Amino acid sequence: MFRYSISFIFLLVCSLGYAQEKAMEVPAIEKGSLVYKTAYGLRLGADISKPILASFNGNYTGFELVADYRINKKIYVAAEIGFEEKTSVEEYSNSTSKGNYIRVGFNYNAYDNWLDMNNEVFTGVRYGLGIFDQTLNSYTPNVNSLYFPSESINASITDSGLTAHWTEFIVGIKVETLRNLFVSTSISYKIVLAVNDPENFKTLFAPGFGRIFESGTGFGFNYTISYLIPFTKK
Amino acid sequence: MILCTAILSGCEKDDFCTKDPVTPKLVLRFYDANDRDQLKKTERLSIWAAGKDTIPTYRSVALDSVAIPLNTSTIETVYHLKINDFDGNLASNETATFTIQYTPEEEFVSRSCGFRVIFNDVRFSSDTSWIQDFTPAPLTTIDNQTTAHVQIFH
Repeated sequence: MFRYSISFIFLLVCSLGYAQEKAMEVPAIEKGSLVYKTAYGLRLGADISKPILASFNGNYTGFELVADYRINKKIYVAAEIGFEEKTSVEEYSNSTSKGNYIRVGFNYNAYDNWLDMNNEVFTGVRYGLGIFDQTLNSYTPNVNSLYFPSESINASITDSGLTAHWTEFIVGIKVETLRNLFVSTSISYKIVLAVNDPENFKTLFAPGFGRIFESGTGFGFNYTISYLIPFTKK
Repeated sequence: MILCTAILSGCEKDDFCTKDPVTPKLVLRFYDANDRDQLKKTERLSIWAAGKDTIPTYRSVALDSVAIPLNTSTIETVYHLKINDFDGNLASNETATFTIQYTPEEEFVSRSCGFRVIFNDVRFSSDTSWIQDFTPAPLTTIDNQTTAHVQIFH
């Protein structure tokens, strides 16, 4: 159910994004040799998908602040910091991961804007670091036997100060909806570089990374609203 | 966009536990006491743990190998093994008591498979009955069931 709601929101967001983009395209006028200046500055915002997901899903809370800084026509330095808490309910275990994370990297805008517009179709790379606790709340030994069935055991074993390091590849779009106000959506593919596992257990979810698949990979999704504080125009 | 949706709603390969068995069972093989290299089927074998019903798959069967679960929440499982080499009449049943003592240990396997139980410091004992002899007396660990753990001679 949860997965479907993500997909649905994502679909909605994508179509919204495209619609806005189209609306912003003004009819072609003579460009001549004019150079349109665009704003450079610090863009600050928040990921609003996480509080929305949290309201749907009682096993999740999360908050993320995002920022980027334009260093030339195409390239932005970008970073995100955030907090996530997620209870992974599996058939044989119930565990909670909770902690903070930071991601830093670059975005490359591959979109050629008309006039002085500021929209982006971007790709990006990130390095991510999460520091978190993981608690094994309860588990049921998988004895695959009905003859001696096993019962759920309350464990409450917490491992603190676990870390995860990863890389991310991002694709997304940003649209300037009002002057200096940007709406952005992106998806990311993540690869674990290193992760601490609790003793005799496994890190199933790392804040900032999300669910860690058996292959050490994961997917992420962002929907952010951010505001550009313009410093200069170039 | 369709791709994104497919990725996000897709079925993950670690959703299902494909390892079988996760927790190993105790594997017994039955050999001829007179020709100890020769497997010998038990006649009309029934197996039940003390205080429990007969295991449905082992109710009056002729087999040379069985896999039986150990109770993971205790340190001892007592099994009764009944055979009848003669005629199937109640009076000619022979019942042996085979006791397994161990230290269970929980070991994490994976997200979908959870924790399995392995058995350390395993010791076996048997009363004198149709089981004339068995090997080995002690066994370090039961952590798989790819080979037999106990050879029973009868």
